[in-house]
Amino acid sequence: MLKVEHLTKVYPGGTVALKDLSFEVEDGEFLVVIGLSGSGKSTLLRCINRLIDPTEGKITMDGADITAAKGAELRHIRRQIGMIFQHFNLVKRSSVMTNVLNGRLGYLNPWLSTMGIFPAEEKKRAQQALARLGIEDKVHSRADELSGGQQQRVGIARTLMQEPKLILADEPVASLDPVLAHSILQYLEQLNKDDKVTVICSLHYLDLIQRYATRVIGLKDGVKVFEGLPSEINRVKFKEIYGEEAQDIRATALE
Amino acid sequence: MKRISKILQLIGKILLPIGLIAFLIFSIRVTQPDLGKLISSAPKAGDILSQLLNPQLTTRKAEKTSLSLTIPVPCGSVPNPEPATSGPRLSVDPVCGNPGDTLTLYGYDLPKNANVSLRWILPTGGLLSIRNAKTDANGGLNEKIEIRPITAAADGKAAQISIEISLPSGKLVASQTLKDVVDTMFVTIFMALIATTLGTIIAIPLSFMAASNLMRKGKVGTIVYYIVRSLLSLIRSYEALVLATIFAMIVGFGSPFAGVIALTITTAASLGKMFSESVESIDEGPIEAVTATGANRLQVIMYAVVPQITPDFLSFTIYHWDINVRISTVIGFVGGGGIGYFLSLRINTLQYNAAGTALLAIILVVWALDFLSSEVRKQMI
Ligand SMILES: Nc1ncnc2c1ncn2[C@@H]1O[C@H](COP(=O)(O)OP(=O)(O)OP(=O)(O)O)[C@@H](O)[C@H]1O
Ligand SMILES: [Mg+2]
Repeated sequence: MLKVEHLTKVYPGGTVALKDLSFEVEDGEFLVVIGLSGSGKSTLLRCINRLIDPTEGKITMDGADITAAKGAELRHIRRQIGMIFQHFNLVKRSSVMTNVLNGRLGYLNPWLSTMGIFPAEEKKRAQQALARLGIEDKVHSRADELSGGQQQRVGIARTLMQEPKLILADEPVASLDPVLAHSILQYLEQLNKDDKVTVICSLHYLDLIQRYATRVIGLKDGVKVFEGLPSEINRVKFKEIYGEEAQDIRATALE
Repeated sequence: MKRISKILQLIGKILLPIGLIAFLIFSIRVTQPDLGKLISSAPKAGDILSQLLNPQLTTRKAEKTSLSLTIPVPCGSVPNPEPATSGPRLSVDPVCGNPGDTLTLYGYDLPKNANVSLRWILPTGGLLSIRNAKTDANGGLNEKIEIRPITAAADGKAAQISIEISLPSGKLVASQTLKDVVDTMFVTIFMALIATTLGTIIAIPLSFMAASNLMRKGKVGTIVYYIVRSLLSLIRSYEALVLATIFAMIVGFGSPFAGVIALTITTAASLGKMFSESVESIDEGPIEAVTATGANRLQVIMYAVVPQITPDFLSFTIYHWDINVRISTVIGFVGGGGIGYFLSLRINTLQYNAAGTALLAIILVVWALDFLSSEVRKQMI
């Protein structure tokens, strides 16, 4: 469903964050991107929904050229791609309801929604999304009153409102404790399995990778150094991706 | 090398205090403080202070009654009046006289300890006031009055001595000064309110143009950013007072309009700067997240930017209203109208009681606004 061809991103400062990266994603995959800090995971995910403009290369989704899209066409593509962030990126002072409704903005009348008018059925949809994530009682709370795990669930509810074909998750559990990490990833897995949403997710912990990924891509300094099944990641591969010095910390999770 | 730097440090340590002392001496010479004068004029200061601390807030609606008594000048020009024998009454001794004579006026059974104003009712009907007096504890009155030539009887009509008794039994009412103070205070508060509102409306777009995170993306944006930023700091280098003086010369002395223009300009400049810093410090995360949902630019601003800046914007605006009320009390002194103008007029004409009333009003209003604005700001955080 997604095809990335020769993707390169050079930041204005001269940093080459991605270098000639190509891969494909099939419908229904749970693709995990791994790599050291600074290897280009966030840059890659942000190129896919064009929060960052790639320097070179082409990304297509179901035939539509994302890299060439502009204006309304780009917004149309974006609303089919949900995004979940490490720091949740909720609007802290707004209510949970407003944050969830924000996920629907791409579908709504721009003028009415700018004035804060949302149709009743959209509010109902938001309630249902929250209920699905088990936090329907928080509807009227302010986003910053919620715990980290709850905030990430609001983030997922916001994404659900987009009825996405693809979800990009940039280290969605890196700010959460291990128990919460599993519960959040299980929601993503549920969306992936039940709703047939394709997921591309960056993760740091090997136990999580092996538990949830259907396929893994490893990045190092913006270059793809691994592509395969989670079961194929062994010590040697791991060292290649994470470097010698990191092995002690990471490899324990592998054993 | 090390030695030299040590010596240099030592010299620095010695030079610093010397420099500071020289600086102090210089500032004393420039500002010419004269403590002796402050002490020698203490009695005068005490007098002014006691008047300032005695604001005119209320007056009593006086209940007035008057009594009068005909005085034949010279004797025999008209018949002597029949003396009354009961009730509040007046009598004179002698009962008539010539110009230059002195009479004694007695009053009986008058209200006790009441203020009385003595006057002649001339044969022509005109009034000539003599003096104010007070009745004694028994309601009696005893006043010497000199007969003036103008009181001579004419055309068979004689002059009368009349007393008007004011009884402070009337209701307490606001004094005229208090009414004026309240009126001009309202002018000041609304002057500050209008200036703050207009200034805020101007400041909002300026602040977006002066926010580096929004503007320094393209060439045009960067140019606009630098122009607006320099403009804001240029304007902020002028005090509202200086601008008010200039505009008072243009639109007229004592007009609140001058104050409004001056305050609007300074408010726009300083809020523009404060707002832009607030815009610069917003969290990019929500902007990314809302953009990623497929929202357009306006929706992103409405849902990701506005909620982040509203509390700051509101609290800065209220804070600035507070400042503007203070400044606008002073702006009157340079001709900007409002309570300051009232105060400067009273001080210049030595009406310290009235000035005291204005000062009291300023203290109360500034205190109340201070309280109000801090409460409102607490609510918003
Ligand atoms: N806005 C930017 N401007 C310039 N350089 C950037 C920018 N964002 C990222 N980079 C650089 O690009 C490289 C890749 O960064 P990226 O954030 O994609 O890495 P990452 O794999 O997501 O790391 P992490 O695990 O720490 O989130 C890094 O060297 C980073 O310093
Ligand atoms: Mg990252």
